[in-house]
Amino acid sequence: MKDTLVGGGSGAPVRRDPPRPDGAAEAARRRKKLITLTRPWLLLAPSLVVLAGLLLWPLIQVGKLSLQDYEVKFGGGVGTFTGFDHYRDLLTGDLLWQTVLPNTVFFAAACVGLTVALGTLVALLLNRLGPTWRLICSIAILAAWAMPAVTGTYVWIWLFQPQDGMASQIAGSLGLIDPETTNWFTERGPFYAIATLNVIHHGFPFVAITVLAGLMTIPKELYEAGELDGANAWQRFWNITVPTIKPVFLVVTILSTIWDFKVFTQIYLMPGGDGSNPEVYNLGVYSYIEAFAKNDYGAGAAAAVLLTVLLLVITIVYIRTLFRQGEEDL
Amino acid sequence: MTARHRTTLARRVGLPVAVVALLVFTLFPVYWMVSTALDPKALTRGSDVLPSGLSLEHFEFVFDKGDFGTYLLNSALVGLATIVAAGVLSLFAAIAVARFKFRFRTSVLIMILIVQMVPLEALVIPLFIQMRDYDMLNSLLGLSIVYIALSLPFAIWTLRGFVATVPKEVEEAAYIDGASWPRMFWSVLLPLVAPGLVATSIFAFITAWNEFVFAYTFMKSSDKYTAAVGIYQFFGENSTSWGPVMASSTLVTVPVMIFFVIVHRKLGSGLAAGAVKG
Repeated sequence: MKDTLVGGGSGAPVRRDPPRPDGAAEAARRRKKLITLTRPWLLLAPSLVVLAGLLLWPLIQVGKLSLQDYEVKFGGGVGTFTGFDHYRDLLTGDLLWQTVLPNTVFFAAACVGLTVALGTLVALLLNRLGPTWRLICSIAILAAWAMPAVTGTYVWIWLFQPQDGMASQIAGSLGLIDPETTNWFTERGPFYAIATLNVIHHGFPFVAITVLAGLMTIPKELYEAGELDGANAWQRFWNITVPTIKPVFLVVTILSTIWDFKVFTQIYLMPGGDGSNPEVYNLGVYSYIEAFAKNDYGAGAAAAVLLTVLLLVITIVYIRTLFRQGEEDL
Repeated sequence: MTARHRTTLARRVGLPVAVVALLVFTLFPVYWMVSTALDPKALTRGSDVLPSGLSLEHFEFVFDKGDFGTYLLNSALVGLATIVAAGVLSLFAAIAVARFKFRFRTSVLIMILIVQMVPLEALVIPLFIQMRDYDMLNSLLGLSIVYIALSLPFAIWTLRGFVATVPKEVEEAAYIDGASWPRMFWSVLLPLVAPGLVATSIFAFITAWNEFVFAYTFMKSSDKYTAAVGIYQFFGENSTSWGPVMASSTLVTVPVMIFFVIVHRKLGSGLAAGAVKG
């Protein structure tokens, strides 16, 4: 993307000040200009150093690593350049196309769709409630949001635990399953259904609160006019609410997509998710297992690069959306 | 029955039903965690909604047998380091991008957006190797540095919104009154962006407090575990004792919840200013 902002630098139009006779004033002016030029960069420098050193540089390293066989020898690492072997293995294997990629994509799609839908419904609900109930519901939503991924995951495992988990017991007493023999976690359908519940529970509050903030900016007159024209609630939602706060929907959808593609903890902690059941691999878990369980850092890095490329594509969409919102200059 | 009657009926029944459903979905997992943590028979019981009794024995267990106090302290230390460093760095950066027009400003902002999406799993491999080569594995400082980097992009993005909302006239008035830049920073800008700084600090703290992948991969000896990793050792693949797992989960979760409830207004405006600018 092109850098469109030019200010203060050499590209700025030179203002024609009347020539000054004494050199001291000229020096002061120059010093002032130098300060103007460097000040933002001095302020940015610490952050940029940290981001470059801990996010950007490792990203380059992971790219390099994906082209190597990396071995730990004598306490240090030795990389042997192997070209695109890891990518070839990854892209020609059945595991990626039949298990890893479908798991990653369908899971992310389900989570994003359901999170945004539920979050929007809850925002509409909150917008209708009186102050007391709105506060009560907001606090309940905050509780779901505040639950860390690790502890949230343990609670959902416990609820669906074979035999003594509450959901297993209820399903058993309704005659739907035999709680003694049914294990929800061994097949990828139920496994990912539970993971989806977990991710939605943790993720919809952000959407609800952000959409609510958007809803409150919509002028009431629009709805009154819509009602006069005979539009029902459904029509008012699609013809007034959605177009008015479309940017909000775009942002929460794209952010949720980015987050849900890289879900790791929630999968890794579930029974079998730590690699013991390859059926339930997603891209993040697969990469981690290859690197740390199989000590094949190169293969893990190749999977990590693939995930990064997927997310990069999504991020480009995100940035273009932000820019297209137009009126706010970035 | 007219359409109007139907609407009122739907509203009268629909709203309470929706509210109850929402409360159950959001709060039941929380309730179930706390109730299991307090239930002395958590190992043997089935699906009773009410605990069979109330006792703190699982909490005692995780502190006595599990050394959970150390884990909580480690988490707090790492979180504190992250808040301070990420707060200072992101405030400087936010002022730079919100207040000054300079070459490559847009490029810098785009870079910040892009690094925000980088998946942790892509970073954990090279950072593990890097940290090992610099002998920083198993170090709370090393872990804190990673968390600072992880929380920076979002913090800069959020604070930028806050700095932008401080009217330029206020600053200019301070300049006219003869205030120097540092002076202006301390007595004009800082108080005005304080709410944003609070929101950013909370997010930075939560990032550090909740993070699992790096802590799990980097921290090798159990005295260096953070709380999120500490729970893992009570969790067995086939024979989990759910009482201790839920007791330690409660200890990790409740502080965050209290935090969220106290600051929820600022949290909302923080999101609105940063992510959406609504």
